[in-house]
Amino acid sequence: MKSSQTQTENKPSRWQAVREFLYGMFGMEIAEHAMEMRASLESIFMLGTVGDMLGVPVLPPYYSLRLLPYLVPHISTWKRRVLREREFSDEHDYHLDGL
Amino acid sequence: MNTLWVVVIAAIVIYLAYNYYAKRIDQDIIKSDVKKATPAKMYMDGVDFMPTSRNVLYGYHFKSIAAAGPIVGPITAANLWGWAPALAWLLIGVSLIGWVSDYSAIMVAVRNDGNSLSAISHKLIAPRTRSILFTFIFFYLLLVAGAFMGIMSALLAARPDVPFGIIMLGIMGALAGQMLYKWKMDLILVTAIVVVVTVAAMVFGPFGAVNAEGKLDFTQGPISSVVVGFNKAVDTVSGGNAVMVVTDPTNADPRVPAPDAEGKRPTTGVYNADTGEIKTLPSYLFWALFLLVFSYLAATLPIWRFAQPVNYIGFWVTLLTIGLSAIGAVLAPFIKPDIGAFALEAVKSQPWLPEAGKAWQPLWPMLFVTIACGSISGWHALIGSIGTARQLEYETDGLPVGGGAMFTENTLALLALVAVSIAGTGGGAGRFAAGVGSLLTVLFGDGFKLFGTALGFGAFMVIVLTVTQLIFRVMRVTLSEWAGEAMPVLKNMHVSTVTSMVLTILLVLTGTWVYLWQLFGAANQLMAALSLLIVTVWLREQKKNPSYALWPTLFMYITTLAATLVTARNLFVTIVPKGGSAAAGAWAMIIIALLLFVTALVIGWDGYQAYQRYSKTPMKKAAAAAD
Repeated sequence: MKSSQTQTENKPSRWQAVREFLYGMFGMEIAEHAMEMRASLESIFMLGTVGDMLGVPVLPPYYSLRLLPYLVPHISTWKRRVLREREFSDEHDYHLDGL
Repeated sequence: MNTLWVVVIAAIVIYLAYNYYAKRIDQDIIKSDVKKATPAKMYMDGVDFMPTSRNVLYGYHFKSIAAAGPIVGPITAANLWGWAPALAWLLIGVSLIGWVSDYSAIMVAVRNDGNSLSAISHKLIAPRTRSILFTFIFFYLLLVAGAFMGIMSALLAARPDVPFGIIMLGIMGALAGQMLYKWKMDLILVTAIVVVVTVAAMVFGPFGAVNAEGKLDFTQGPISSVVVGFNKAVDTVSGGNAVMVVTDPTNADPRVPAPDAEGKRPTTGVYNADTGEIKTLPSYLFWALFLLVFSYLAATLPIWRFAQPVNYIGFWVTLLTIGLSAIGAVLAPFIKPDIGAFALEAVKSQPWLPEAGKAWQPLWPMLFVTIACGSISGWHALIGSIGTARQLEYETDGLPVGGGAMFTENTLALLALVAVSIAGTGGGAGRFAAGVGSLLTVLFGDGFKLFGTALGFGAFMVIVLTVTQLIFRVMRVTLSEWAGEAMPVLKNMHVSTVTSMVLTILLVLTGTWVYLWQLFGAANQLMAALSLLIVTVWLREQKKNPSYALWPTLFMYITTLAATLVTARNLFVTIVPKGGSAAAGAWAMIIIALLLFVTALVIGWDGYQAYQRYSKTPMKKAAAAAD
C-alpha cells in the first residue's frame, strides 16, 4: 500500500509527464552513454584500489586502506556491476534500435 | 476512404485493444504488482539497473523500437496487395499480437531478475537454444542489411536531390559528437544547430531544379546538378553500360518505375520495360560504397563519436517529418479534401495458387512478413528484455511502457501507409515521399510540394540509414561471438566489420530486393514467434493461463515458416533459371531461408518439449528442473 501511495503521490503533472517523455525520447540515450563511460572509468579505478576484494591485488593494501572511507559508498554497486554475468547484447553500444 | 477515417478507425481499435484486452491480461494473467521489487530496485547499479519514471521509459522504449521497420513494410505491402489488407493487418496484428510480444518479453525479464530473453531461453527451454539464437540473429542481420543497402543505393543513385542531405547528416553527426562529448556544449544548442542544418540540406536538395516549363529537371538546380554530373562521370567508367543486370519478378525494386495511367511501366535509363531487366550502373556501386564507408565509421568508431549523434539527428528529422505529416493528414480532409483521399487501390488481387515460372505472393503468409515491425516485431522483445526491463520502477509500468510504445509505433506504420495511399504515382519510397510532400502542402502551401517531397525522401533515407549503421555494428560483435572461437581473426573488429559488409554487398548485388525484405520480415517475425514461445513456456512454468501468448505463437510460427518456404520457392522458380550472378545470389538466399527454417524448427521442438515438461510438473518441481 505504501508503494502504491508513493506512486500516486509522485504522479507527475501532465506537463511534467510530457517533459519526461521528451527526455526519454531524445536525451536519455546520451545521458546513459555518459553514465556508462563514467561507470567504466570508475570500475577501473575501483579495481585498481580495492581489487583485492575480488582477488585482483593491484595496489598495496596500505593505500587501499587509506582510500577505503571514500570508496565504501561505491563498493556495493561496483561489485554488483562487475560480478554480474554479462553478454555483449547487454552493452548499450551494441543495441540495435529501430526494427 | 480518406486520412481522417484511418485516424478514427485506428484511434477506436487501439483504445479498445489497450483498455479492454491489454489491461485485462496485465491484471488477470500477469498480475503485475506495484509492491513487487523490480530488478531495477533490487540490483540498482546506477547504469544498467536504474529505476526510471514510466514517462521517461515510454519515450525511451518508443525511440528504441521505432524507425525503418514500421515504415518500409507498409509501403511495400500497400504496393503489393493494396491499402486495405495492410491496414487490417496493422490494426489486428498490433491489437492481438504486437503488444503481447513487447509487453510480455519485458515482464518475463522483470520476473527473471532482468535477464535477457536468450539467457531465459537457455534456462527455461534448452542450453542450445541460446547458441542457435545467435546463429539466427547473424543471418537475420545479414538479410536486413542487404535489404536496406539495396533500397538506399538505388535511391541515392536515382534521386540527385537526396545525397547532399545525407552527406550533411554524416558531417553534422560527427560535429554533434564532438560538441556534446568533447566540448560539452548544451544539448539544446547542439540540437538546434545540427538538426536545422541537416533538415535545411535535405529540403534544399532540389532547390532551383525546376525548368522553364515548370517540370522537375535536376540539371537546373545548383546542388542537384552537381550530383547529376558526378553520377554521369562515374558511369563513364563502364561507358554507360551496366556492370551487371538483375530482374525483379515482383517489380518492387526501387529502380523499377511506377506504371503510367495505362498500367505500363516506361523504359528508363536503368530499367528495360520489354525484358524486365534492371541495370546496375557504376554510380549505383559508388553510392553503395559510400553507404558502406558511412556504416564502417559507425561500426568501428566509439559510438559517441559518430553512430549515436547521427542517430540522434536522424530521430529528430524523422519525428519532424512524420509529426508534420500527421498534422497534415488530420487536417487534409477539412482543408484539402483532394489530398486526403486515397489514390491507391484498396485491394490488389494476387493469385492464391502458384503459377509455373511466376513469382507467388499470396496474401497469407506473405503479407504477414512483409509488414513486420508495425504490427509485431521479434527485435522489440530482445531490446525490451535487455534495456527497458532493467529500468522499470514498478511492475505496473510494464504495460504503459511496453504495450504503449508498441501501439505508438503502430501509428507510425499507419502514417506511412496513409502517405503511400494518398500519393498517386511513384514506387515504394517514391510514393511515400510524394505522400509526405502532399501532406506538407496542407500546412505550407502548394509551393512546398517539391521541398516536402525532398524531405520525404531524405527522412526515408535517414530512417533506413540510421538503422543500417547500427546493424553493421551489431553484426560485427555477433560474428565475433558466434565464429570468433573457431576463427580468432574474426575477433578483430575491422575484420569482422569488413566480412559482414562483403557478405552484405554480395547479397545486394546478386539478390532481389523484395525477396531480401520478405526473408528479413520472415526472420523478424520468426524471432517474434520464438520470443512468444519463451513467454508461453514461462507462463506454463508459472502455472498461468498461456492462451493469450500461445495462439499468437502458433499463428506467427506457422505463418513465418510458410513464408520462408514461399520465398525460397519464388527464388528457385523465378531467379535461379536465369543463371549467372543472379542465380548465385538466389541460391545464397535459398540456403539462408532453409537455414532459418531449420533453426526455427529446432527451437520450436525444444520449446514444445519444455512446454510439455512444465505441463506435467508441479510448479516447485518445474522450477527446480529449470535450475
